[in-house]
Amino acid sequence: MGWSDVYYFIMVPMVYAAFAIFMAGIVFKLIVVFFSKKSKGTFSTFPKILPRPLGVLKDAFLVPVAWKRDKILWFFIIAYHAAFVLLFIGHLELIKEFALLQIIPHQVFLGAGIVGIVLIISVLYFLFRRFKSPWRGISVPEDYLILLLIFMTMIVGSHLNLAARYNAAGFDIPVEDYRTYLSSLFAFNPTIPAGITGSPHYVLVALHIFFANLVLMVIPFSKIIHMVFTFLSLNIQRK
Amino acid sequence: MEKQKIAELRKILTSRLNRPMRYYNDTCTRCGLCYDTCHAYQGIPEKIYSPVGRAEVVRKLYKKYTRLSGYLFPYWGDSTSFNDPVMDEAYKAVWSCTGCRRCVMNCPFGIDTALMMSVGKHLLIQNGTAPEELVMLADAAVEKGKSIEEFKEGYRQVIRDLEKEVQKRLGLAEPDGLIPMEKKNAEILYVGLAGAHTIVNPAIIFNAARENWTLSFFEGVNFGFFAGDPEKADFIAKRIINEATALNVKEIVIVECGTAFRIMRFLMGKLPFKVSSIVEVIHRYLAAGRIKLKDKSVAEPVTYHDPCQIGRNGGIYDEPRDIIHAVAADYREMSPTREQNWCCGGGGGLVALDNEEFRIKSGKPKKEQIVKTGAKIVVTACENCVMQLKTIANGYGLDVEIKYLTEFVCENLIR
Repeated sequence: MGWSDVYYFIMVPMVYAAFAIFMAGIVFKLIVVFFSKKSKGTFSTFPKILPRPLGVLKDAFLVPVAWKRDKILWFFIIAYHAAFVLLFIGHLELIKEFALLQIIPHQVFLGAGIVGIVLIISVLYFLFRRFKSPWRGISVPEDYLILLLIFMTMIVGSHLNLAARYNAAGFDIPVEDYRTYLSSLFAFNPTIPAGITGSPHYVLVALHIFFANLVLMVIPFSKIIHMVFTFLSLNIQRK
Repeated sequence: MEKQKIAELRKILTSRLNRPMRYYNDTCTRCGLCYDTCHAYQGIPEKIYSPVGRAEVVRKLYKKYTRLSGYLFPYWGDSTSFNDPVMDEAYKAVWSCTGCRRCVMNCPFGIDTALMMSVGKHLLIQNGTAPEELVMLADAAVEKGKSIEEFKEGYRQVIRDLEKEVQKRLGLAEPDGLIPMEKKNAEILYVGLAGAHTIVNPAIIFNAARENWTLSFFEGVNFGFFAGDPEKADFIAKRIINEATALNVKEIVIVECGTAFRIMRFLMGKLPFKVSSIVEVIHRYLAAGRIKLKDKSVAEPVTYHDPCQIGRNGGIYDEPRDIIHAVAADYREMSPTREQNWCCGGGGGLVALDNEEFRIKSGKPKKEQIVKTGAKIVVTACENCVMQLKTIANGYGLDVEIKYLTEFVCENLIR
């Protein structure tokens, strides 16, 4: 078994496995939750200025608690999550062209490298914040490892995006090649085009996908599940 | 720790894993925004007194026993097995939490640390290390519920004596019927506490308003809830619900006890009658002109302490303020106030324990709030709060008088 087999494993079977674990994990978590006993009574706090679901959405997306208590953290929370949405859209456009996403015309990958940099800086802030007391005392290994994993995924992904500007150095992997690869995965007819396998950055593409696979697999079984449970948890507070 | 004990504790732990607990276990990112939002942490800045520090004690046990990752890779989330040091840590975490839920207001996910602490309390009961005094009080309340007929005559005697006190204070000729009991189809079933003041003052107000009311044989306080025993808590609350149903009353009115009010109004599911706090009822009487208070008769500066279970967890903010405003010429608001008001540190059954030194320390933010207002009278509407505020006032040598809202109203009632 050579490196090309390892790369292939990461870029095809592992991607399928990661998506399967991610989807099954989320569904499993939700099933477990919905089959769990409901609590008797209500756990509201007052005042309830905005009714559900508006209040829940406001608390989830605008994070007013962080705004009140730690404006720097709030800034990075908002920056990180907003950039993450853009990152998601950027990756969708690497699968195929979505006319809807191009209502405001932009280049693929969206954000001209800024999105990745914002994410990296935010993750580093979240990480370094934990080195300081009192957050150091409440952190567990999971907190550091997840941030490191996200950092690694983003630093490599960001590099791939920025390197596309160095066409002359042969670092550019055209969008079409990514689309061929990712859409083939979705069609269950996986192909890794020569534009990727022959690129000097093939190893970085594989590394990026490797880290991303790990992140996907970890999501349902770690605190990143807050991406789903935040809404449910906040809903209880306003019930 | 013996295997048998661990198995019993595991059983309790998993039995309490309901829907909210699953959210609270999985969602916390340990962002630390809640860290200093607990009054106990403000008084004693140790991790175990921070909301996240407390919650992690229970969360780590859940990780160990309900997650494969916690079992296989305990270092990943710092999961831990049941052992004596962990149970000691749980005691410290649980019995320093008043269940005020100020941390809920300061958590981006609305995680209810108090609910997590109720699991910790339940584990401590199973472990045999729960505070004995609370367990005994809960047992006594359950016993009273089981054999109420034996208690009735003795209680009637006590009430007859209290009727004389009400008669004297209202300046009436006869004491009979001033505190009605077992009155069917009354508008209100009033639920008091063991202390005479919790019956006499409301009785004066009910009589002044010419209310059709009756007194419950039971105390509103729920020691089962305080101790952390959900079955006993349920039984103790249901004694009152059954009594109200049998008497066919339209409304249960709860004494100045925040927890009793919250349990009955919010935690017992849908009930066939209205549940109100005595604070709301006084406000109602005042608004309808059924009672009259001496307008701006108190010249000394007055402030109001929001009991957590009535304010933050009950939504009653304006009513007590309106009542006080009617009487006090110089009302001063605490800062922070309402939903961000600091807990006094006496709730959750803590005031019944031998922990005065801790409560004085954890009452530091409340002391500072009171001092800042410059008030000479602190009014509140919760038995635990009054007791704890008195402890704080004595502990820090504050020149303030602590009053129940009903007491404040009765002193300024136009008869």
